[in-house]
Amino acid sequence: MTPLTLTPGHRADGTAVLTVTGEIDMTNARGLHEAIAEAGGKVVVDLTAVDYLDSAGLSVLFSHADRIELVAPGILVPLLDITGISGLVTVRVQDEEHF
Amino acid sequence: MKAQDADDGPDAAAIGTDVFAADDGIGGDLARVDWSATPLGPPDGWPQSLRTAVSILLSSRFSMWMAWGPELTFFCNSAYRTGTLGRKYPWALGRPAREVWAEIWSDIGPRIEGVMTTGRATWDEALLLFLERSGYTEETYHTFSYSPLHDDDGQVVGMLCVVSEETERVIGERRMATLRDLGSDPSVVRTEQQMLDFSARQMDRNPRDLPFTLTYLHEDDGTARLACSTGIAPGHALAPAFLPATGQAAPWPVSATEPVLIDLDTTPHAGPRRGDWSLPPLQALLVPLQQQGVAPHGFLVVGLNRFRTPDESYRGFVELVAGHVAAGTVSARSYQAQQRRADELAELDRAKTAFFSNISHEFRTPLTLIMGPVEELRHRLEDADPLILEELDVIRRNGVRLGKLVNSLLDFSRIEAGRAQAHYEPVDLARATAELASVFRSAVDRAGLGYDVDCPPLSRPVHVDPAMWEKVMLNLLSNAVKFTFDGSITVRVREESGRAVVTVADTGVGVSEQERPRLFDRFHRIENARSRSHEGSGIGLALVRELVELHGGTIGASSAEGVGTTFTITLPFGTAHLPADAAVGARTRGVVSTTAAPYVEEALHWLPPLPAGAEAALPTVESSDPVAADRPPTDARVLVVDDNADMREYLARLMTGAGYRVTTVVDGTGALESVRADPPDLVVSDVMMPGLDGLGLVAALRSDPRTVSVPVVLLSARAGQEASIEGLRSGADDYLVKPFAAAELLARVRANIQLARLRDHHARWHSALVDSLQEAFFVCDEDGAVIEINTAFTEILGYEPEGLPYRPVHPWWPDPAAEPEAHQEVGNAFGRLLRSEKGSYTVPVNHRDGHRLWVAVTFNQVDEPDTGRRLIVGTLRDVTAEHYAIQRESALASLSTLLSRASGLPEALSGALEELHDLWHAACVLAVVLGDEAAPVLTATDGSRWQELPAGLRDALVGLGTHPKLSPVGAYSGTAIVLEHPDGPMVLWLDLGERRPFTGEDELLLSLLAGHLAQGLARVHQIDQQRETAIALQRAILGPSHLPTGFAVRYEPATQPLEVGGDWYDTVPLPDGRIGIVVGDCVGRGLEAAAVMGQLRSACRALLLQNAVPAEVLTALDHFAAGIQGAACTTVFCGVLDSESGQLVYSSAGHPPGILVEPDGTTRLLEEGRATPLAVRPGAPRPEGRYVMPARSTLLLYTDGLVERRRRSLDVGIGQTAAAVQDGRDAAVDELASHVMDRLAPDGGYDDDVALLVYRHPAPLDITFPAESSQLAPVRKALRGWLAQCELPRHIAQNILVAAGEACANAVEHGHRTSSDTVQLRAEARVDKLHVSVVDTGRWRPPEPAANPHRGRGLILMRALMQRVTVTPGPVGTVVDMQARIA
Repeated sequence: MTPLTLTPGHRADGTAVLTVTGEIDMTNARGLHEAIAEAGGKVVVDLTAVDYLDSAGLSVLFSHADRIELVAPGILVPLLDITGISGLVTVRVQDEEHF
Repeated sequence: MKAQDADDGPDAAAIGTDVFAADDGIGGDLARVDWSATPLGPPDGWPQSLRTAVSILLSSRFSMWMAWGPELTFFCNSAYRTGTLGRKYPWALGRPAREVWAEIWSDIGPRIEGVMTTGRATWDEALLLFLERSGYTEETYHTFSYSPLHDDDGQVVGMLCVVSEETERVIGERRMATLRDLGSDPSVVRTEQQMLDFSARQMDRNPRDLPFTLTYLHEDDGTARLACSTGIAPGHALAPAFLPATGQAAPWPVSATEPVLIDLDTTPHAGPRRGDWSLPPLQALLVPLQQQGVAPHGFLVVGLNRFRTPDESYRGFVELVAGHVAAGTVSARSYQAQQRRADELAELDRAKTAFFSNISHEFRTPLTLIMGPVEELRHRLEDADPLILEELDVIRRNGVRLGKLVNSLLDFSRIEAGRAQAHYEPVDLARATAELASVFRSAVDRAGLGYDVDCPPLSRPVHVDPAMWEKVMLNLLSNAVKFTFDGSITVRVREESGRAVVTVADTGVGVSEQERPRLFDRFHRIENARSRSHEGSGIGLALVRELVELHGGTIGASSAEGVGTTFTITLPFGTAHLPADAAVGARTRGVVSTTAAPYVEEALHWLPPLPAGAEAALPTVESSDPVAADRPPTDARVLVVDDNADMREYLARLMTGAGYRVTTVVDGTGALESVRADPPDLVVSDVMMPGLDGLGLVAALRSDPRTVSVPVVLLSARAGQEASIEGLRSGADDYLVKPFAAAELLARVRANIQLARLRDHHARWHSALVDSLQEAFFVCDEDGAVIEINTAFTEILGYEPEGLPYRPVHPWWPDPAAEPEAHQEVGNAFGRLLRSEKGSYTVPVNHRDGHRLWVAVTFNQVDEPDTGRRLIVGTLRDVTAEHYAIQRESALASLSTLLSRASGLPEALSGALEELHDLWHAACVLAVVLGDEAAPVLTATDGSRWQELPAGLRDALVGLGTHPKLSPVGAYSGTAIVLEHPDGPMVLWLDLGERRPFTGEDELLLSLLAGHLAQGLARVHQIDQQRETAIALQRAILGPSHLPTGFAVRYEPATQPLEVGGDWYDTVPLPDGRIGIVVGDCVGRGLEAAAVMGQLRSACRALLLQNAVPAEVLTALDHFAAGIQGAACTTVFCGVLDSESGQLVYSSAGHPPGILVEPDGTTRLLEEGRATPLAVRPGAPRPEGRYVMPARSTLLLYTDGLVERRRRSLDVGIGQTAAAVQDGRDAAVDELASHVMDRLAPDGGYDDDVALLVYRHPAPLDITFPAESSQLAPVRKALRGWLAQCELPRHIAQNILVAAGEACANAVEHGHRTSSDTVQLRAEARVDKLHVSVVDTGRWRPPEPAANPHRGRGLILMRALMQRVTVTPGPVGTVVDMQARIA
């Protein structure tokens, strides 16, 4: 299984935050799904430290589209746009400086 | 108002009206018209012009009418009334013209209108008008003129018509024409039908009077037959082909003897409508065809013109027509009857002539039997009582006379029957006539007459039949002697007015004036004429005239009683007057024939006997010497064939008496048997015999080679068959016409036997010569049948003369079924033999006992001298041994050539099998090597595989493995032979197809070839091994067996067939992951340079592995090279490449600079680190260059063979090479290498060693990993690293990473069928594109979003992220190809 770190937490305003680090693929998407499910309610999924996201991970995000917000690095933005998920959930782009 | 009512019209109240006074009759009626009711008003008020016109009208005797006023009120005069108006009078008077002539108004209206408007008169001649003036529509013809009438003011107010009716004239002329035509000269008419057809044609030309006609002729049974018809279709109800004798249904009364008028209304069918008339006839007139006093032989039916009444004139016309038809048929019938009578008479005459001719012929046989024995008796009784001799003389004399008579009669009958077969040849008429005249000299002398023969030569020959001319002269001379008692006889030949004139004049009794016209009549004898003899048939002069006329000549006689007679014959020169085929060339023979003797003898007999001792000179006939004839050739046997017992016995007696052995048979069949059983020296045969006749006998004898040369003399009684015999002369050797003299027969018999013996002698000599020939000799006829052979022929081929003739196809030809090619070969050669004049050929044939022979045939065409027949004579030599020797030699030679050219064992073997296959025309040839392999190794000409062979054959072949080598053996319906193959024993097997014998010669040849093949295979094997070794060695010294990815190399040695030269390239994977790169070039080429190169390469490689610093490697190599002969001055490029970073460290020992091309096309040369070639300055330190290859840049290293050309700077070549790399920088490295080699190749190919090495940075990524999900992250890592080497923008690299990751994930998900499944990821960067391919061993499912939504999204992602995505499912896996644009 591809290594993936899932760190649940909360913001100062109490919003649930799930910080994801590593690559998301078919081998570990299930874990992401479960982590989001566990967080319950509205959750901000922070993908800033994710440098690979494939269709398996996107599927997980779609399945939770109604209750997540995304924080994504610029490198993932084209992918989110192409799949249309950026039209469903709020996406905040994090690391503009990479461009 | 009707016309007839006019009489009861207004009374003559206005009779006194003077305007109508000119004519009492018409005037009265005009006066009675109620003019006030017309536009003209009462006559009192008529203008003067009208009154004048009316009075002119009425006073004229010409038929006229006029019209006046707006309605064109009608007036007419008396002539018009009677001639034209008819029953319309007086109704018509005072009426509008349009009403009066309503029925023809369409014809005349426009004319009148024209006159009224233009004032110009009209003229019509014989215009056909259908008038209704007699109670029916009537065909009339009028000639008329309309002229204008002017009123007092000069205006046209009316018209005057002067008319003459021409109906009678027109119709009369028409009918006369028909009658004239019918009576026109029918001289060409022959038969009744022709006559009728002629009549029909004439009748058909008058359809107005004869709308239709039917001509029926009575048959014997009282019925009538339609012989011809006009104007009515055959099969019309009114025109039945046959009419019964009685019967109501018939449209026409068959038995009418008087003309009958028949209403067609009462017949069931109306008459036919006919061209000129719009309506069909209403009546028909039937007229019997009759000649006075004879019963009718038929009848004519004429459909009558409904527009004319059938009045006297019309009926008369029809009856005259019928009369013509009747007369015509009668005359035709009588002509035919006469013709028949004439034919019958001619037939009677022919029969009479034939009978006469036959009877005359029949006299010949008894005449022979009288004359022959009489001659014999006279010889035998020479010393007998003179009285007996005298009586014998009487018999003989009368026999001669009878013979002469018969001949004359036959001549006549032949001339009459047109069978006189004259052959006119150019003859010196003067000489011939003189010779004939001389025959009579003795008789004339003895008669005490003067004889004046005056025949000076003519200017040119005359064409006469000599036999006929002889008869003419003999008859005339004999006549002259007969009727001349004093004076002389004169024969004269002259040329007068371009003709030959022959006169025979005597001073004899002459012919009276009244007899003279009948002088030449047949059988007419001059009564009471004084003559030397009363004998005479009265046919002599008649025959003379006939004969002279056959020659196109004339004969006349002038005579005066008591003064003499002169016969004058004139004959034309030339051949124009003769039948074309009867004129022949001159023949050389005497004029006087046997015919003369009887004439002279007869003449002599009329004369007083000579004093004793004086012998009358009889003309000698030919050269037959009775004495000589009596002496037969020794021991000759004659076969006499005659059905007449008397004749047979007479002939036998004659022959026996002459010393021959005689056999007699009664008919042709018996003769044939006798001849076949024991051929006689001669056959004497009658022509006429029951069963097989003489001609048939000759034909049968000639068709059989055993009897073909037996001479035959035919005896003919029928002179008519002389011609047939003539035609059969090639068959019969000789013939005689009865009666013949015994001496003559004997002479001919003797001559023929001698001839035959001479011929036999030649034949035996010929046979002996031919038989003594060593070579076989044969003679073929035109059809190719062998008709003669000699002993050698029989010895060589086994066929004996008894079987002759051997007709094609000859029995020695090869069997077409078993050996079609051989059969064809012989057939072709035989064709040449028949067509060519000479030639020679060698062909296979079969001996009678079946064994194969090869024979060389030489032939020539010759013409047989006797018959002109074309023959082919030939000799034939047995060349079997030579043939096989040559065959062996050429087969061995050809096999040797093949083996020496073969570049390997399989090629050598399959070539050898083809050779054997062609040599024997085998169905199949195969070779099985029974080596150590599990399955025998098969090579077959038909491409069969071992397992496909029949099990029986496989077993047989395997079983033969232990059979003695090179000894042919029959195996599985073929022939096998075992020989040594480098891999083990090899069985060679030939299948020659059905029924082909494999002879001893074949076996010998096979053994030889197999031995040769075994040696050849061993040699080829040895060469193979040596070459393999050499190649392995060369390859070992050339370069690495495996190149790292990203590299491509080319190597072209200048010296063939070496695969190595002095150049080299090398790639050396170094322990630290870098790659050592070497390209070098030793001085020279060929094997020596290669040996140096091998050492340097190995040394360089070792040095690199030890210390990967190019400058130090080359420094060390300087020392190494210094110690090796020929290594000095080698140039080397040595570099070390870090394939991850693209850093290249390099040093060059005098080598041409490397070429580097960046993605944007920027080209640079690696010119740093250069120093001298190897071993030039050993020990000197070498410089080093460095260069970091940008991503997607291409490096090319090479040796100078690529760029160096004579008379050209190296820079030019380097520049061209750089340009070639630049062009191909977007191609894969392997493609690029080929591209550069092609671009720079000189026209004749490279003449120096060339080594080439291409590298593109980075090297393509190529990862194969197990199809497990755990592999995905490491693979991605590797890809990410490689993408970094490619120096792509980050987002593009990310897109490629995700797309490739998706493809790999798919491959893992679908490719895991078995644990060994793998996935291959390849990525390659070019200038502006990047290719990624993922190949798995599974099959992708079609996207099913519902079941597995994110998978479908994966493909969508790939397509969205890459520029091109193709997914190709295959049987063993799926290939995903993707392409991204990267610049």
